[in-house]
Amino acid sequence: MEKHSQEMSQDALLKISNIDAFYGTLQALWGVSLVVKPGEIVALIGSNASGKSTLINTISGVIHPAQGTIEFDGRDISTLDPFQIVTLGISQVPEGRRMFPEMTILDNLILGSYNRQARSNREQNLKRVYEHFPILEERKNQLAKTLSGGEQQMLVIGRGLMSDPKLMLFDEISLGLAPKVTDELYKAVREIRAKGITILLVEQNVRRSLKEADRAYIIKAGRIVLGKNVAELQEEEIKQAYFGV
Amino acid sequence: MKVPINQLRLMLPVVLVAVLAIFPIIGTPRVWLLYLFLFFVYLTMANMWNLLAGYSGLTFLGPAALIGLAGYTLVIVTWNDLPFYLGIIGGGIVAAAFAALIAVPTFRMRGIYFAIGTLVVPEALRYVFYLWKPVGGEMQGGGAGYMIKGIGELSLTEFYWLALAIGIVSIFLMRIILRSKLGLGLAAIRDSDRAAASSGVDVFRLKLYAFVIAAFVTGAAGAIFYIYQGYIAPASAFNIRWLMTCLLATVIGGIRTEEGPIVGTIIVVFLHFLLARYGALSLLIQGVILVVIMLLIPEGIVGFVRKTRAYRSLAALAAGR
Amino acid sequence: MTVEVLAGLSRPIIMGVLLGGLYALIALGLSMVFGVMKLINVAHGDLMIFSAYFAYAVMTTWGIDPILSLTMGIPLWFGLGFVIQKYAMSRAFGISMEAPLIIAFGISLILQSLAQIIWSPYSRALEAPYALGGISLGITTVPKTYLLSFVAALVVMLVLREFLRRSYLGKAIVAASQDKRGAELVGINTGRVYAFAFGIAMATAAIAGVFFGLTFPFTPTSGVGFLIIAFGVIIVGGLGSMLGTFIGGIVLGLTQTLSGYFLGAATQMLFVYLIVFLVLAVRPQGIFGR
Repeated sequence: MEKHSQEMSQDALLKISNIDAFYGTLQALWGVSLVVKPGEIVALIGSNASGKSTLINTISGVIHPAQGTIEFDGRDISTLDPFQIVTLGISQVPEGRRMFPEMTILDNLILGSYNRQARSNREQNLKRVYEHFPILEERKNQLAKTLSGGEQQMLVIGRGLMSDPKLMLFDEISLGLAPKVTDELYKAVREIRAKGITILLVEQNVRRSLKEADRAYIIKAGRIVLGKNVAELQEEEIKQAYFGV
Repeated sequence: MKVPINQLRLMLPVVLVAVLAIFPIIGTPRVWLLYLFLFFVYLTMANMWNLLAGYSGLTFLGPAALIGLAGYTLVIVTWNDLPFYLGIIGGGIVAAAFAALIAVPTFRMRGIYFAIGTLVVPEALRYVFYLWKPVGGEMQGGGAGYMIKGIGELSLTEFYWLALAIGIVSIFLMRIILRSKLGLGLAAIRDSDRAAASSGVDVFRLKLYAFVIAAFVTGAAGAIFYIYQGYIAPASAFNIRWLMTCLLATVIGGIRTEEGPIVGTIIVVFLHFLLARYGALSLLIQGVILVVIMLLIPEGIVGFVRKTRAYRSLAALAAGR
Repeated sequence: MTVEVLAGLSRPIIMGVLLGGLYALIALGLSMVFGVMKLINVAHGDLMIFSAYFAYAVMTTWGIDPILSLTMGIPLWFGLGFVIQKYAMSRAFGISMEAPLIIAFGISLILQSLAQIIWSPYSRALEAPYALGGISLGITTVPKTYLLSFVAALVVMLVLREFLRRSYLGKAIVAASQDKRGAELVGINTGRVYAFAFGIAMATAAIAGVFFGLTFPFTPTSGVGFLIIAFGVIIVGGLGSMLGTFIGGIVLGLTQTLSGYFLGAATQMLFVYLIVFLVLAVRPQGIFGR
């Protein structure tokens, strides 16, 4: 996967090189390298506790890598604070449908455009979000906690869109949702990509993510074990990488 | 601190105590005795506060309640012509009973709420004692103040021995409790109430034990203080300065260490004497010290020293040998 | 006899509500800090009293009206709060659970002793010609200062409420209190937001101090008692709600005046403390809390 990443790294939007990451004294990522090119949908697949969310949080600046670099748009972001990374154009749709429960949908969305650059485009972005998810406009004055699971996920995605991102990180958006709802969500993901936003997709649901992605990385126990174009991936390879010893 | 079975180490504290005990008889200057008196009284209170806040996760902001109650118990006892030492024991018992009483409502309060709740208690008691005259009609000072009776023939020597006794008791108690099953349970509770409960620890009961024991000893120390001071009034008895003293001593010395309160109290009493005539200035300096220490060496002096290499090699030397 | 009692009730009720307004004013800043950062600022009462002293100094040195002096006091106190949070409290959070509490205690000690050194332990009071005497409210006459404080409290409460609801920073403060990590991921600089919140809280403490000083005499140690009242207010009224804090203040104010009316002046504060204690034990999230 090292070679694959190296091949891909010309004009990469996001380039992660050989990072180690720790939770306190516990190491969670070992020498992880990964590349995302502009306009792509890249899937990051792995079972529970494989390090997927850790990697996403490291990109977002919640954790800082102990070693290695993360480059975004040519710039090293590995030491930046989360809010700075949002300003540069990376937006995370966190797992667990994490929103501000006691605030209205509208307020949640407005807060998405908190960073200075995005504020001026607020109304435009709001309209776009409502196009993707009309139900959010319907319920815009309701408290976020009153929404259903699927609607909450739409809210979090919408909120992520409000910051005018170049790269969006989706962390397990289908978790705990019915297939029909998941279909709707992924339809929106495709629409978002069509608008020019690059996407890194973390999913436990292997089949689903491979359907949508151009390329995929498989992560196991904190290490990248496979990185390939989806078209070239064999079923055997996936099983080996995901489950194998 | 791991203590190896070494004759010298066992003898040392005994010798120390004996020396301290004979101080008054061998003509030690009054000032020293006074210093040591305050030292042992404050040390006792600091130790007990450390037991609660440091080791049991009970940020108890109301020691003034226990001390004030014990002091007034002393008043009631001595005004009824009973000997003062019964007042000390009575003070301890009343404080302990009060602690048991408020344990039920306050243990329901989680974390920060417990702190506020216990802060309110001494304030409420202050007003209770403005209104309630437990004995006779003699008022001293600004309302509801009392003189302690039956202590006329006592001299500094006796006060000193009382303080020394309770101080040593508090040190012993800390040693014993922290190494006992109670101590283990308290450590678990401090880390996480819920985790401890699901491991079968009777959280309420252990907290109650710690609280009641600490209350008894704190109360006794308070009574001893009032025997020395000779009078008590609500404003000064239920005053936040008791908390301040415990806080300062424990934090400066090192919270959650056995030696911390000792080191801290030495410094606190030293400051008290050094700056006595500067009144408010001494409080100002204590406040500054508190903030500075919390920001720079939050583990206190003892905690800081333990981290240094010099200490670690010394300790290894003493234990390894 | 009942008729007399009921007729006589009108005064303590009105006084209780007005007093409650002052209590709410004192507690509003504390409520915001506690709601956002779960921090007990035990120095809040002393910071408020120090503002009264500052206004006193300004009044006696330059003859400036206390409320006018707030034009200096508010920015000063805001800056003070901003600095305290940014450089002391934020560090303290990383140290241990007790650390912010202990640092606040230290600040409290420092302020109390400073006030005592500069202005002596004797009580002082703020005066303004328009605040002297009483004003008739139809049924009864109340001191003008009580009314002024109540109005000030209402204004501050409404301003804060609208600020939190409508402005970006206000929403960010609310968001950070509900989900800190989520706020960061949305691009909010939580460190700066906390510092702003603390600064705003201090600014309201400055306002509270001036109105308090106009209404009652104060000494360097007056702060502690009001800290407890302020906490009582936010606990009874519920966290994170400006309106709740206001109502909590009125509840405590009424408790004080009504218990004074029925049981005698000496028992007033006792009942206030008892109510606070009870609410803490039974429903810490308060009437309006979540």
